[in-house]
Amino acid sequence: MGTFVTIDVGGGGPDRTDHTLSTDAARDDAIERAFGWFHQIERCCTRFDPESELMRLTAQVGTWVTVSDMLYQPLAFALAVAEETDGAFDPTVGHRMAARGFCREHRTGRLVRLGPEPSGTASYQDVHVDPARKAVLLDRSLVLDLGAVAKGLAIDMAARELEPFAHFAIDAGGDLFLAGCNPEGRPWTIGIRHPRLDRALIDTVTVSGAAVCTSGDYERLGSDGESHLVDPRTGTTATSLASVTTVGPTAMLADALGTAAFVLGPVAGAELLERHGLEGLFVTPALERFVTRGMQRRYQLGHRTHAAAC
Amino acid sequence: MVPDKKRGSNQRVANNLLALSSGAILSVYAVGYLRTRPAVERYADALPARRAESPAIPPPVTAVVPPAPREAAPVRAPAPTNAAPSRPTPALGNQTSEPADVAVIPTPDTPVVVEPSEPPPVAIDLPPEPSPVPTVAAPNLYKDGTYLGWGSCRHGDIQASVVIENGRIASAAIAQCRTRYSCNWIETLPREVVGRQSANVDYVSGATESTDAFADAVADALAQAK
Repeated sequence: MGTFVTIDVGGGGPDRTDHTLSTDAARDDAIERAFGWFHQIERCCTRFDPESELMRLTAQVGTWVTVSDMLYQPLAFALAVAEETDGAFDPTVGHRMAARGFCREHRTGRLVRLGPEPSGTASYQDVHVDPARKAVLLDRSLVLDLGAVAKGLAIDMAARELEPFAHFAIDAGGDLFLAGCNPEGRPWTIGIRHPRLDRALIDTVTVSGAAVCTSGDYERLGSDGESHLVDPRTGTTATSLASVTTVGPTAMLADALGTAAFVLGPVAGAELLERHGLEGLFVTPALERFVTRGMQRRYQLGHRTHAAAC
Repeated sequence: MVPDKKRGSNQRVANNLLALSSGAILSVYAVGYLRTRPAVERYADALPARRAESPAIPPPVTAVVPPAPREAAPVRAPAPTNAAPSRPTPALGNQTSEPADVAVIPTPDTPVVVEPSEPPPVAIDLPPEPSPVPTVAAPNLYKDGTYLGWGSCRHGDIQASVVIENGRIASAAIAQCRTRYSCNWIETLPREVVGRQSANVDYVSGATESTDAFADAVADALAQAK
């Protein structure tokens, strides 16, 4: 994930007292555990470490491999999203990213070992899972990238850990989960990054008890200067959108469907989100904006004044 | 390729992705809970004593992980991409004869087990404007020393230097910035990180390039400290 994680516990308004967990130590313990999930899931699911469980799995082709829940669950979920989106989201997109320079670990020049030579035509249909045994079978050599799903899972695990506190915020590099209220006792107001101006906002939403994730073409540029948001079906960069912001009940879902919606474009992307009860904001490279039908009503786009107290 | 009967199960669950994601969270949490329970129990043992020392109703708190070094700023901790220590693992070649056991085994050093009485963890200082950024308290993951790592974004490259003392991050700093612009924009980075919670919004959705690049650089440096 390689990102900054912020956890903020203790919103709810200045007059609120928390009777469920009444000591600083309890809060600090919970926050430690919440951070711990990011480390554990990262360690398991990163493709930048040849020793990660994910990378050891991808080194074994043609045999069923039993894996931990921490790998099985995000992988099974990623495959389900791939099925649902007919491959607009595909965890095996890794080999295409690798072909475009994404296997280079940042700027060190140090190449990350990818195991056997990845097949150029691999897709999610080459990955099979057995829910009973928590086992995975790879039909061919491929690169699995669980980036978006694993980060979403870590956010959700942290949120689960902090549930007793009712009011908290988790920020993992701009992917968020907001519970309860902000310190002023109102729903959290979230700025949406402007896709062309690093420090400007293009809109705001007001949320409580939801994840907010944004995929943008400005993220993590590859060696060719293009976005890392590749259309897995063609291997080319998806260009119809500059950013997609999704709001939904879990970060895993919001992040994965947001990534798929980015590839699908505003029309099919909005249909996908609505089919799963999520809302979204789509911004095109020309800075046109599209929203799902419930976005304005549920999350008060641009309405940053006086959201009802909660 | 041989048609696989397992595709059917993928198809079925795909219809309710929300249920699937919720189930995944519960499954992983259940696994992790077994690991965190000893810490919870230890905490429960100490609770009566601690409550006796604490005010009955503490004031609401804004963000503090871990015990904050004076500044009330919310805490930023890098989740380093490469920070994890590599556990001893069997050689890959030995794993083909049987279902390979690549499961994550609970290890004694699991970072979720936290001593309630642990001393305040170290802060990352980000010169030239020292802005203490406490990191998550982690076990001794790293070898002592000073390490350099690179991160990059559209504006150029950033080199971070990370100092490890007693197995922990003592400080992290920007060592070099080879960017198209003056290094001055970098100097505002620590402030910017905190400043994202402005008067108008609580948080911002969407990564900023500058913080990503610095986080990458720190992660790269930490990878060498394993």
